[in-house]
Amino acid sequence: MTLSAHGLSVVRAGQAILYPTSVCVSPRDRIGLVGASGSGKSTLGHALVDDLRMQGHVVAYVPQSPDEALDPLWSMAFHWREAEKALGLRPGAADRKTLFSALKIEGGDLRKRPWAWSRGMQQRFVIAMALMGRPNLVVLDEPTSALDPVVAAATMQLLDHCLRESDTAMILITHDLGLAARHVSQLMVMDGGRIVEQASTEDVLEHPKAPASKALSAHRNWLALPC
Amino acid sequence: MISSVFDLVLRALIVLAGTALATFALLWHAPGDPALSIALARFDTLVTDEVIEMVREEAGLNIGFWPAFRAWIGPLLWFDFGNSSVTGREVLPDLLVAVSYTFPLAFAGLAFGVAVALLLAFVATKRPGGWMDRVAVGVASLGAAIPAYWLGLLLILLFAVHLAWLPAMGARTPAHAILPALTLGLGVAASLTRIIRSSILEARAQPFLPAIRRRGVPSSAIGRDHVAPHAAVPVITLVGLEMAFLLEGAVMVEIIFGRPGLGTFLVTAIEARDFPQVQAVVVLTALLFVTINLVIDVIYRVIDPRIGGQDA
Amino acid sequence: MLKVDHVSVKRGASVALKDVSFSLAAGKTLAVVGESGAGKSTLISAILGLLKPAQGSITWAGAPVRLCRPALVMQEPRSAFNPTLPLRHSVFEAVKARKLHVGDARLDRLCKGLELERDLLDRRPAAVSIGQAQRVGILRALIAAPSLVLFDEPLSALDAVTQKHTAKLIAQLQKEEGFAALIVTHDLGYAVAHADEIAVLKSGQIEEVSTPQDFAVAPKSAYCRVLRDAAIALGALEPAE
Repeated sequence: MTLSAHGLSVVRAGQAILYPTSVCVSPRDRIGLVGASGSGKSTLGHALVDDLRMQGHVVAYVPQSPDEALDPLWSMAFHWREAEKALGLRPGAADRKTLFSALKIEGGDLRKRPWAWSRGMQQRFVIAMALMGRPNLVVLDEPTSALDPVVAAATMQLLDHCLRESDTAMILITHDLGLAARHVSQLMVMDGGRIVEQASTEDVLEHPKAPASKALSAHRNWLALPC
Repeated sequence: MISSVFDLVLRALIVLAGTALATFALLWHAPGDPALSIALARFDTLVTDEVIEMVREEAGLNIGFWPAFRAWIGPLLWFDFGNSSVTGREVLPDLLVAVSYTFPLAFAGLAFGVAVALLLAFVATKRPGGWMDRVAVGVASLGAAIPAYWLGLLLILLFAVHLAWLPAMGARTPAHAILPALTLGLGVAASLTRIIRSSILEARAQPFLPAIRRRGVPSSAIGRDHVAPHAAVPVITLVGLEMAFLLEGAVMVEIIFGRPGLGTFLVTAIEARDFPQVQAVVVLTALLFVTINLVIDVIYRVIDPRIGGQDA
Repeated sequence: MLKVDHVSVKRGASVALKDVSFSLAAGKTLAVVGESGAGKSTLISAILGLLKPAQGSITWAGAPVRLCRPALVMQEPRSAFNPTLPLRHSVFEAVKARKLHVGDARLDRLCKGLELERDLLDRRPAAVSIGQAQRVGILRALIAAPSLVLFDEPLSALDAVTQKHTAKLIAQLQKEEGFAALIVTHDLGYAVAHADEIAVLKSGQIEEVSTPQDFAVAPKSAYCRVLRDAAIALGALEPAE
């Protein structure tokens, strides 16, 4: 089933930060939503999630840092149960064991509160919560930028692995074209509240058309290594 | 958790001991001759030098600071506050009578005040910046600006004089407590409303709420589980402090409504330099503050274990 | 030059830095990389003299480091400034306190090098972009002509394009001004692209000091290979075909 949202727009304090935009997502799509900070990519991500949820689709959202996903006063078990309830599942209905082992969430005590867990584990727990309802789409907003490179790389790899077998589509929001290039097959490039280019990842990397795409492509990594 | 509560209790005991010593020292070294004041209060114009010396001996004022302190603190540990220097009666029964007037009034006032403040704050935060918010904040500011003696008189005028629904003076029946409780409660409500309102608004701006909402958690559950506990922490502190102040006795309200109570008890005792009575009230007050703070600290640790460096 | 000689620092009961030694010559760049909790921030505090080493010594040209007026560029550009005052105030605060004179020509040159309009300094932190705020942070660090500048994750709050641009400006200014730069970062791509040497810190100890070339192509220790591969997996470094 293809998900589509039309005419998404956001105006704040009389200023358009997202011009009317339409997004279509097919099952198994891997889409990167890229742009500089302030280009409106997070705003589009939020608007898209909210719109698709209103249409009744199961759409999950993972914010940048676990601080933006977990309440420090409640245990991990409480968050898990709360997410189950929100999906209308019975307690324990979600297959926690499989998700935890797929995301390598090991040794964390569910009775403890988030801040007793490492940040990498917290973020993977948030991703596990996002995947528990077998969503049609999961939107990840800079899911690794608050993590260490080693932990970030491992988290992205586990996420790829988790999504490989499922029909869940993914939208990865990032300012980093280098990161997007390794994890998505299509790119939507944003600039000034508009999508300025939409093409396959290869096309954007090799033949960027819009100025924003050219800048992102030229600065996608620090160095090419002779290794 | 257990060990941290033990720490708190230990700290409370140290504070109590310090308070006892400090009050005793302050009264002991207060300017003027306490024996003369007591003699004046007891014998009025019949005071001679011999009478003053007699009083000094009777009240134990002639034996030096540390012996006097020991003589006072020893029985105090068994809640024996000694006898009044002026009337010679035991302090404890009189103190308990005053407490029996003050405490019910304080709790009634606090309950009324908290209820009104919660109501106003909820109305105000329905739509922050809206007209209801402005009206609620306006009412709270007005309440904070009205002094208790004036508010008390207004309430007497309205409910006792014009409408004749409620008695104005005295403390014979529970109905007598209604107007003083309203007076105290409105004052409490005024100061609490703004704190509760800003705590709720702050709790609603927490960074993790949008993600929890997008997880599909209904807004009623978000309010109950993720806004209320965070908003409660600063509010509990203030409610505790208000409670301590009210339990201490509100002199102004007691005088306006002609009620006995701790406030008047203390003022009378100070005027007469009645050491045992004053010290009894001070010790009771310290005990109240320390206990209430202890309870608040424990509640904090239950709500948010990060306070006090606990494990999750 | 900066000499860190067998330095150990304790934080409470635990040891935050253990027998750390390295040196940094004038005008050169050393990148210190490692995971969070590896002791990178402790190292900065120790060099600035905010933490006293339990053992060892930290010197600049044989004298205490503070004599070379070290400067610090912080990670969060906006919160590094007083939000209620114009940026100009924060930029000149330390200079004024030390009664140093900064010529107009120098300010102009630094602003030009950092691509900052001088009028920008009259705005408050909230009224500039994060990238601009970070460049003002660098301006503040360089204003008194320090011999040593410490950068604590200078780019991690910026987006990918701004990161590369800011890194280029820092490198150009370093060539003009000749300061030694110690850059603490967890971004290996940045370290490899801009440092003369890379020191890898792991659990408070130096794991390896090597040139970027060696580090990227043939890391010696297994841990450094893990770091390098993570940088490649995140797209910070690109393996050439």
